[in-house]
Amino acid sequence: MTTPLIKAHGLRKQFISYKKNPGIMGSFTSFFKRNPVYKDAVKGFNLEVNKGEIVGLLGPNGAGKTTLMKMFTGIIVPTEGELKILGSNPWERDKNFRKRIALVMGQKSQLWWDIPAMDSFLLLQKYYEVSNDHFKQRIDKMSSLLGVEELLHIHVRKLSLGERMKMELMASLLHNPEVIFLDEPTIGLDLVAQENIRNFIKDYHRETDCGIIITSHYMQDVNALCDRLVLIFDGEKGYDGTLEDFEDILGSDKSVSFSFKEAQNLEHPLFQGLDTTWNDERTNVDIRLPEEDLCLLSAKIISDLPVEDFATEKLPIERVMKELMNNPEILRQRRGSLKSV
Amino acid sequence: MFKDLTLTNIGKWWITIQISWVKHTAYRLNFFLQIIGPALVFFFVKYNLWASIYAGDSEQIIRGFNFEKMINYHIWAFVVALVAQGHGSWNLAEDIRLGRISSYLIYPFNFWEFHTASWLSFQVIQMIIAAFTLGIISYFGLLIFPSFDYFLIGVAYTLFISLFWFTLQYLTGVMAFWLEETWILRVMLNTVAYFLSGAIIPLDLYPKWIVDILNYTPFPYLTYYPIKIFMGELTNLSLGLYIISFWTIVFAIINHLVWKKGIKLYTAAGM
Repeated sequence: MTTPLIKAHGLRKQFISYKKNPGIMGSFTSFFKRNPVYKDAVKGFNLEVNKGEIVGLLGPNGAGKTTLMKMFTGIIVPTEGELKILGSNPWERDKNFRKRIALVMGQKSQLWWDIPAMDSFLLLQKYYEVSNDHFKQRIDKMSSLLGVEELLHIHVRKLSLGERMKMELMASLLHNPEVIFLDEPTIGLDLVAQENIRNFIKDYHRETDCGIIITSHYMQDVNALCDRLVLIFDGEKGYDGTLEDFEDILGSDKSVSFSFKEAQNLEHPLFQGLDTTWNDERTNVDIRLPEEDLCLLSAKIISDLPVEDFATEKLPIERVMKELMNNPEILRQRRGSLKSV
Repeated sequence: MFKDLTLTNIGKWWITIQISWVKHTAYRLNFFLQIIGPALVFFFVKYNLWASIYAGDSEQIIRGFNFEKMINYHIWAFVVALVAQGHGSWNLAEDIRLGRISSYLIYPFNFWEFHTASWLSFQVIQMIIAAFTLGIISYFGLLIFPSFDYFLIGVAYTLFISLFWFTLQYLTGVMAFWLEETWILRVMLNTVAYFLSGAIIPLDLYPKWIVDILNYTPFPYLTYYPIKIFMGELTNLSLGLYIISFWTIVFAIINHLVWKKGIKLYTAAGM
């Protein structure tokens, strides 16, 4: 049996902040008496990730995703629990451990702004003890894959967000890390740049079979990259399983939408007994129906009614995610029912 | 600490120093002003101030200082400040507070190594600026250059003091793990040191009883002593060396302990 790349058990992180009443009086009284507020950003978190897995760590803002990433990379120390990354305690920050991991933060640049990316790469080459041949080969390959050969010698602050993100990715992969933590790597990027980054990550994963943990609010990222999802709500794990199972959390029904040339009669026999959502003009309908009925019903509607356009749902994960964020209770109930089984 | 003293690790220090130079020289105008700024400040502030105090009577003697000697005292005070105290570690506390040190915690090169290498690189630039400033001042015929021996000893002693300042500033920086904002602490420290080290006026002008007390503190050894070396007036260096070494070692140990404890409180805010 191989050792898991990541093993977390009963992981907890508590932050302390101090409450201050507004205004000058609030500031003044807080000089003498501070009211601490304790918050468990992560609690009782268990996770095991094996070599070659790409795990999407999802959850609403403030759920604890980034806190987990910080603990996994050794930036912050867990309050409680056991955590091993590649067999090491990350917060001990052993140099050999640090050479085997990488972190990319979409919202925070790790490159030095006042110098060209190539200078940062040269610095990282030394830090990670990458041989000259390997360095050259990696830079050539990655820069051509990402189409940034011409930008390597430009000051980082002059690059666009998308270009900078590509450089950030290059910087983090120079040393062939075995586990990569990607914290919202596509945030703020245009669609083309997002796709470039995703393809690049996929290529790198195919080539190295590394483990990847990725957080993102873009379901396209998750859909394209992850085979497994871990959901975190309010510091606790809400779901851990495959993408397919996740899509079926709310049932295995499919969603199809039709646009019509003119307003339709809602009482039409074809729509009776179906789960439908119409727009106000009655020219567009979303229908949820069992997968086995999808083809037959679609064919009937297209032949009987003046259909202008129709589409099946591209990202069921997005709908499920939205529903769960609005109503996290569903997961608790689901966990309860799984336990009773 | 010393297990890292391998060729590979020295290579990491060297590249950090080089990159730090690249960063310092990234903006041409800024770098140019950094080079010529101190000389301009010297002439506009220090020279004018003392010229008006002596009010044209350059032979007037204030506690053993005529105008020429007083100006030379301030020339060397300026050089000592540039080399020993130039590096304020100003960003360290802010970097901790705003969570900017996270990247350095992930690289396989320790944060203190990165910070110290950047300081070494900064010191080289400060030495160049100090040399340039001295060059301009001596061009105007104001500098009485000491013997070469005294000059070298003075430079070595000043660099040693800069190490002391570095460990002290580093300490005020890493205290941000608890205090979050430490700039006022540093301003107070610098102001007190400025007054008590002889950087504003020579300690010879202070009442004797104050100087006697000060001699038991590190302050006179930070500015007054190195100036006296540069002026070729001091022969006994050992006491200053002992005191400064003692405090440097104490601060280095405290820094190590504070970092070890503080990093556990680090929240990497804003990531």
